[in-house]
Amino acid sequence: MRSGYFKERFDQLTVLTDSTAVRVWSLVLVAAMIVAPFVVSGYMLSHLTVILFTLVGVLGLTILTGFTGLISLGHVAFMMLGAYAYAIAITRFGWPPLPAMLLAGIVPAVFGLVVGLPSLRLQGLYLAITTLAFTYIVNATILAGGKFTGAGRGISIKRPVIFGINLASDRAFYWFCLLVAVLVLFATLNLRRSYVGRALVAIRDNDIAARTMGINLWRYKLLAFVLSAFITGIAGSLMAMFISYVTVEGFPFLLSIEALAIIIVGGLGSVLGAVLGTIFIVSLPEVTSALFGLLGGRLAEIMTTSANEIKSMLYGVAIIAFLRLDPRGLRGIWQDVRHAWVHWPLRF
Amino acid sequence: MRFLAELILTGLSVGAIYGLVAMAFAVTYKSTGIVNFAQGEVGMLAAYCSWSIAMTLGAGGLGTIVIALVAGTVLGLLVERLIMRPMLGEPVLSVVLVTVGLAVVLRSIVMLAWGASPHKFEVAGADAIVHVAEIGIRTSQIGVIVALVLALLGFWVFLRYSRFGVAMRAVAADENTARLMGVSTARVQSVAWAASSALASLAGTFFAVIYGLSPTIFEIGLKAFPATVLGGFDAVLGSGVSGLVIGVVENLVGGYLSSTLKEISGFVLILIVLMVRPFGLFGEKRIERV
Repeated sequence: MRSGYFKERFDQLTVLTDSTAVRVWSLVLVAAMIVAPFVVSGYMLSHLTVILFTLVGVLGLTILTGFTGLISLGHVAFMMLGAYAYAIAITRFGWPPLPAMLLAGIVPAVFGLVVGLPSLRLQGLYLAITTLAFTYIVNATILAGGKFTGAGRGISIKRPVIFGINLASDRAFYWFCLLVAVLVLFATLNLRRSYVGRALVAIRDNDIAARTMGINLWRYKLLAFVLSAFITGIAGSLMAMFISYVTVEGFPFLLSIEALAIIIVGGLGSVLGAVLGTIFIVSLPEVTSALFGLLGGRLAEIMTTSANEIKSMLYGVAIIAFLRLDPRGLRGIWQDVRHAWVHWPLRF
Repeated sequence: MRFLAELILTGLSVGAIYGLVAMAFAVTYKSTGIVNFAQGEVGMLAAYCSWSIAMTLGAGGLGTIVIALVAGTVLGLLVERLIMRPMLGEPVLSVVLVTVGLAVVLRSIVMLAWGASPHKFEVAGADAIVHVAEIGIRTSQIGVIVALVLALLGFWVFLRYSRFGVAMRAVAADENTARLMGVSTARVQSVAWAASSALASLAGTFFAVIYGLSPTIFEIGLKAFPATVLGGFDAVLGSGVSGLVIGVVENLVGGYLSSTLKEISGFVLILIVLMVRPFGLFGEKRIERV
């Protein structure tokens, strides 16, 4: 008699999921997401869209900080580069939208290579500061770019038409974001279970040991930077389409912090954590303002007058609280809940 | 020639502010092994507190400096006890990210409590112009340079001759051995936070007196990064001196090239330095044996 559930072959270890329940529920979720625009209100729909393109950017950061363990405080720079590459390709060169989106990935990827180069020599904290420096340099360069980058005025863009579908309607744009998010999600999940993904995690856990096991640090650290910058750039172009206007102010440094907060709250190094964290952090300000509204009076007033400060305060508190109380993040809580559900009434 | 001398002199005064913050970074890093990303924010909050206190008391120049030092020390001790102490023994990455979280929280506290509009930090006699070799400079600008020099001297004596300074260096060199020798790492950490916050507070207050009080003061933290990196995170004195270098370089670039380049010149400089010496100019080289 089998005394438990054992994994006996290698492919059982690397398979995305071996449970039918997970597969069924994922399909149900995707189906629900597809029909969601017909059910929910316009406000809720734009909230879901924000969650989707934020998720794309967060997955980019997950590859770099979550998998490879290289802290980046400059991810907003990659987003900005992606958004500007897209806007410039569309308005200045008259490119069609899909090649422009590809460019929005390639330009940050090339810059990722440039920022990644010092990472081979720098220890963790110095690297975080280099990426921070990178943000400021990109910011200043775009502001000094004159007519080409629109300097302080920014560039206004229209929602594109892709495959004959006009993304100007919020529903169409939502589906497009859903498609990109699902594609990137699968790409990240598959990356994690491939040789490359395991190499990245090995570098995170102990780079010297990884090197002795024959992993080329040079190649894989740079690869992490390039992949991460590429995905983040795509997220930047989606964000540019969403707000239809690209400015330097549209990409504040707080976005880098928000992305970090998301992967910490979700659970470092986990794709599921990235998804849960995105939903949590993006909804946090909305939920809080709703709560403050319920309490009414003075608090609701504060919420409307200084929404931005409350928002950043919430991010900060969320980061500190999760690191202090449960470093495994939402993913850990999810696992506990699942465990309790499966084994109830036994404790384990 | 006169333009050059003016640029260098004002560069030195800005650089002294960077130097103070850079020293604050180095003190925390040296004794706890973490970079405090909230250093600029601590300085800003302390500057706002000192402003409120100095306004109600009507303090003069020296009085304001004392208030700033006390406010910074108290703030540093509070932050250490409430937020950093529980994180003792956690991985460095987590602790550093906590300071990143702390930074945004402190920034919002300042915005909520004092509002976004800038204020003038009035200190009697701070705006009086003194002539140094025919170049007019404000007393507050000279004051900050003097403050940096005194801080450098003070820390040099403290780290070299005082019992506690030696304990701090011991913790930095090897935490476990230091603990075996009877050094309380928790106490070293709290003193380091108090000292670094006092330095940051001094920098923030001087910045507020010279350029006005506004919720963007925290940027001195970001501007001081190049100085710390240039000096090396574990070199307290080196960081202080590098602050002056960065200040002068920035001002020269701003004066002769362009104002956009001025903003990023420090960062460009450290990118180049880090390419050549990944541990800073005065930092200790770490050798890992495999």
